[in-house]
Amino acid sequence: MNSQELFQTIQNSDIAVALGQAHVFFGILAQLFHISGLVLLLTSILLVNLRLLGVGLTHFSAPQLAKYTKPFVFTGLGFLIISGIFMLAPSAALYEPNPAFWLKLKLLAVALVIQFTLYRAVTATETPNRFVAIVTAIISLLLWFSVGLAGRAIGFVAA
Amino acid sequence: MSASELLQTMYDSPLGTSLAESLYVYPLVEGIHLLSLAFSFGLIVLTDLRLIGVVFRQVPVHIVLQQLRPWLLGGFVATFITGILLTFAAGPGLVEAPIFPAKLLLIFLAGLNALWFEVKFGCSVIRWGGAAVLPAGAKIAGWISLVSWSLVVILGRLIPYLDSGF
Repeated sequence: MNSQELFQTIQNSDIAVALGQAHVFFGILAQLFHISGLVLLLTSILLVNLRLLGVGLTHFSAPQLAKYTKPFVFTGLGFLIISGIFMLAPSAALYEPNPAFWLKLKLLAVALVIQFTLYRAVTATETPNRFVAIVTAIISLLLWFSVGLAGRAIGFVAA
Repeated sequence: MSASELLQTMYDSPLGTSLAESLYVYPLVEGIHLLSLAFSFGLIVLTDLRLIGVVFRQVPVHIVLQQLRPWLLGGFVATFITGILLTFAAGPGLVEAPIFPAKLLLIFLAGLNALWFEVKFGCSVIRWGGAAVLPAGAKIAGWISLVSWSLVVILGRLIPYLDSGF
């Protein structure tokens, strides 16, 4: 099965069809959850990364901020993924040929890998190497904000 | 001049027309408008939650305000400038439903609230910022800010659904 067939199968599934027939209110609700998730995730990551750069909420150490914002990051990710699937499934076959959609997924995959490896390791260290901390912050910020920009691009690239 | 005439004039201006017709600049402006929320809206919500007493309770308010202010204000500058640019490219359809005027009204209210907070509590924050119980007025300002900015973001997201110009 190629990806077009897979996405067509997703779109034709009972759940996707039911989601597609849901009232526009639920579509708007999904959009609002997506934007709430975005703010929860990006602002949390921003706070920690600013601290890694040596600015922002310097009252705390980076590990303290990372620990404090962890529940917000996971809540945000949960909101984003669930509402994202809700938006994707009813018109999955339309997303499949969209290059911005695949770019977003690839960037998201890389951002998640960095989040749970490099970022996690650096934010677990009370006094990380200054250079490593700065590079990590720049990579993390660029990746997560690029995921958002690529997501915005989906609507403009659509055929 | 009515609001829709004003929006038409903005749309017909060189700035409005070139933005609306641009292939890359318009999506980029819209993207920045959305993603700058992580700085502007996200950090003001954090500040509001501190005033209400939900987050960072062990940190004095003035430290939170002082350390976040440049990022928060920088975020608002980006959100506002891109918002004004988007309005130029929107055209008169933007005011056919009351969503956008309601959003502007709430921004005005949130702004007044911030101004009132600065005048009433801003100068003395070092004295009360570390107290276990914050002044009731400061807490109320936090709630007003939280609710009004949240509604601003929600209404903004509703514009493409409920305004006919899009």
